Amino acid sequence: MNVRNFDSPQCSRVRRYLDAYLSNELLVETTSDVLRHLESCEACSRELQARTRVRDALRKAVASQIAPEELRQSIHRRLTKTQPGFWGGSRQRTWAAALAGVVVVVLAGVIAQQWIRLRQGRRIVASVLALGVSDHLQCAIKGHNYPEIANPPEQLRQKLGPEYAGLLEVVQQKLPGFEVLEAHICSVQGSPRKYVHFITRGRGTILSVILTKSEGEQLPNGSRFVSGSSGRVSLYEAHLNGMNAAGFESKEYLGFVVSDLSRDTTLQIAGELAPPLKAALDAGSRSEARLDLDTFSFVRGATQP
Amino acid sequence: MAAKDFRLDQRHATIEMDLFFHPKLRVEDFEAAAMPHFPDLHRTARLLAQDSTEAEDLVQEVYLEAWKSFHRFQTGTNCRAWLFKILFHRLHHFRRRWAKAAKMEALEGPEDQDGLIADTPVPQEIRDEDVLTALRKVPVEFREVVLLADVQEFSYKEIAEAMKLPLGTVMSRLSRGRKLLRQELAGVAHSYGITPAKDAPRAGESA
Repeated sequence: MNVRNFDSPQCSRVRRYLDAYLSNELLVETTSDVLRHLESCEACSRELQARTRVRDALRKAVASQIAPEELRQSIHRRLTKTQPGFWGGSRQRTWAAALAGVVVVVLAGVIAQQWIRLRQGRRIVASVLALGVSDHLQCAIKGHNYPEIANPPEQLRQKLGPEYAGLLEVVQQKLPGFEVLEAHICSVQGSPRKYVHFITRGRGTILSVILTKSEGEQLPNGSRFVSGSSGRVSLYEAHLNGMNAAGFESKEYLGFVVSDLSRDTTLQIAGELAPPLKAALDAGSRSEARLDLDTFSFVRGATQP
Repeated sequence: MAAKDFRLDQRHATIEMDLFFHPKLRVEDFEAAAMPHFPDLHRTARLLAQDSTEAEDLVQEVYLEAWKSFHRFQTGTNCRAWLFKILFHRLHHFRRRWAKAAKMEALEGPEDQDGLIADTPVPQEIRDEDVLTALRKVPVEFREVVLLADVQEFSYKEIAEAMKLPLGTVMSRLSRGRKLLRQELAGVAHSYGITPAKDAPRAGESA
């Protein structure tokens, strides 16, 4: 309990080092000096013990304080809120990125497939409409198988035969501003396919209305290929050999409107013609008295005499 | 309180801006490195701030600030020291408002060398709350160094860096702080009925 050697220079020196000794901040040599003194000096040894005891009591007391869990949670929430990106936490973000990757790959696949289908569909449309375009070009434009002055309707009806004669009226009615110069059954060189061909003139150009039996040719399904519709009849469109062609289907026939008029005009004209023509053709196909197209004679690439 | 919230939200916005350019940083990584030190930070803040609300604000700010500059933090370096450095940086901002500089100067005074209090009777079984009460009576400038050195076991160098103080000042403040704490504890001991040794100078009478 007594202070011993309190004023000795050694004690004074050691006590100056005591704080650093307690904090383990002394050099190795100084530490051994202090230790040597402490072994022999009870007062300094007690002093160190007292200081150590205070420090330990302080550590224990501070450690007894419990950090509030709500604060930890609050910090966690605020930190999570500051995580950049749209997906909140980064783990979710990683998953979202992976998911997005998968979606992108799947979408790319689907889009590629759809694109291939679309291209195939367009190709089918073009190949079907090419039938009408080729007949228009060969028979009407190159063959010039029409008179300058329209043939009389009776003659045209006769050329068309009883099965198709009725269609003349439909074409005349539904093509205002156009004059039907010629109507006949014809075919294109190199193909046995027969066409019911109306050659008309109007708006400063020649326009063909052409009908042919489907014979396995089919316009593709799907709204992506349909360029317009009228009276529940889908219209298809293609630009081929400088001509705009619009096409439609009936039960057994394919119908075409071909001219060098604009795409929109061609579609508009086809829109007027398609529903009544389809109705007439469908009614005709139900009729038992109808004649087969094959029974008519025809001249290849030329009008019927 | 409303003004304080606004200030925090402003910082929040800045943090988001900063992190926008460091999208690789993950909050999980930050939390894994920084949250283990939450109890120590809170305990220290609790003993240095004026009240528990301020301590909580302080700790929260430390974490937001740390997360903001996490891209500058190098993994493998001492995360704990880094967090305490931020804590003291924030604490000094807080402290400017306290305006206790005058008191600090008065206490800093001339260095009184060795602890001349021999055998201060610190009770063996002193209660934690008494120790904490005694500690709170030690002026904050000394208290913080004592906490960092004796409780958090930082080296003098780390303390000097965290508090932006010269090493010598750290050492003198620690010495002075320990002594003041012992004086306070001696006062507690006295209230327990324990008196210092007769020949030993009374606490506070030394130097």
